[in-house]
Amino acid sequence: MVQEKFTGVGLGLRRPHLERVAQMEAHGVPFWETCPENIIGDGGLHHRMASAILDRDPVLTHGLTLSVGGFDPWDEDYLRDLGEFLLRTGTPWHSEHLCFTSVDGSCLHELLPLPFTREAVRHTITRVRDLQSRLPVPLLLENISYYAELGAAEMDEADFITAVLEGADAGWLLDVNNVYVNALNFGFDPKEWLSAMPLYRVAQLHIAGHKSFGDLTVDTHGADVIDPVIDLMQWTLARLGRPVPVLLERDNHIPEFDELLAERARIQRAYEAALELSEVHHA
Amino acid sequence: MAALVLDADEAAIEADPGRVALHQELPGADQRSFRDQGPAMMTYRELARMSLLEPLETMFPVLKSLLEGADSWSDCVQGFLDARLVRSGHYRDIAPAFLGWLAATRWGQVRWPFLLELAHAELLEVLVARFPDSARPEDLHVNPGPEDLVVLDPATQVVSYTHAVHHSSLEAPIPEARPAHLLAFRDEEGEVRLMELTPATSALLVQAQTRPLAEAAAVLNVPDLVPVLSLLHDLRCDGAIAGFRSTQ
Repeated sequence: MVQEKFTGVGLGLRRPHLERVAQMEAHGVPFWETCPENIIGDGGLHHRMASAILDRDPVLTHGLTLSVGGFDPWDEDYLRDLGEFLLRTGTPWHSEHLCFTSVDGSCLHELLPLPFTREAVRHTITRVRDLQSRLPVPLLLENISYYAELGAAEMDEADFITAVLEGADAGWLLDVNNVYVNALNFGFDPKEWLSAMPLYRVAQLHIAGHKSFGDLTVDTHGADVIDPVIDLMQWTLARLGRPVPVLLERDNHIPEFDELLAERARIQRAYEAALELSEVHHA
Repeated sequence: MAALVLDADEAAIEADPGRVALHQELPGADQRSFRDQGPAMMTYRELARMSLLEPLETMFPVLKSLLEGADSWSDCVQGFLDARLVRSGHYRDIAPAFLGWLAATRWGQVRWPFLLELAHAELLEVLVARFPDSARPEDLHVNPGPEDLVVLDPATQVVSYTHAVHHSSLEAPIPEARPAHLLAFRDEEGEVRLMELTPATSALLVQAQTRPLAEAAAVLNVPDLVPVLSLLHDLRCDGAIAGFRSTQ
């Protein structure tokens, strides 16, 4: 599933940086990740700049509001537009969150956790398989950070994610920061947690910063990535033994582009170090 | 979950999140789960409400300032949330949905008759800036003639307000009660430009989209078409007008 050109550490394509990126021939970013919801149906100057970059550079797509585990019907018009957009970008896959975002037609614009129940597993597998059949590229599901279990759980998060990925035969966008945040909030060892997961399904990683508010740590995407999360990324890459693309997420407190490039370069070095170490071990 | 996140009575939800599960007819075990995780449930309420309200605070700063001054901003946005009108997955659609709710309900407009216009003026430049791109109409020519129709660029808006809401500011949100006519358009670079029009020019731009220029000018008692043609030519060069279509 992983394609050669999608390795290294990419960046999300952010509106404040569009003009600068559009003018740069050699920015050193191996790929961009873009949210189709922010592009489809938009227009104007920034839209044109974003489109030009997406037409020029390698792109991965990452959705926010399909509400994969929800009960609301798909927006057929949006799915059609999404399919066309995915083909246009040449993305090898499209990723979405393993969560729900809509209830009774209301889009809450928040990633809400699915109940860890057998019924939710069955329901989500059915939805994911249906979605896979409607999209022109494979679908990856991303593990989210969550702060409460919605309803009485019949299994833990790891078993829930595994059951959905296996049942739907879907790829995994593994967000190592989300694993780390959940480990802090629910008190488990992230490496032990990952060791029990179907890592062979991982096609891409996400990495980001977070922030603690008292006893609660929130996946804010608004700060630099801390060393323990980079360590978790390296540990994961070593386990995988293959160069899956890593996306550095930064959605809040977005810094100047040069500062973000420096942060990307820092994580790229850690990425390469992890893969070199992995090659040594495999040699 | 929508009720937990959006309902107004935060104190009742905070006191017992299990009641939300009860009202949704969830089983007892689920009710207990909601109750046991009360603080975490409130975190979701805070996060989701922040997601929905942030675009309103960003897009309508003057309106927010006005209503906060009257201790009414919270009531206003809660009324919007109660209507459950955020149905689009596009984040940029939240602010227009709020504007639509203000128009449909006329919320606050007895006390503040300019409120809807103020909100519209705050969003106008964004609406024009992000209007979906489309192919320009064909069969247009560049120089206007008396028998031509005016064809605006698809992103261009001609708006008329009863108050000068485009001059409202955080410091002085209450506008002067005088009519204001605006032309908002994207120039050739894609930047949004706002131009205040005379009443006659505004009316002519509207009328001349459906009847020939000379006829529209006559209806509006515009005696001399020459300066009008010159203005329309300039507006086409600036990007507000896509071109002119012959009626003959």
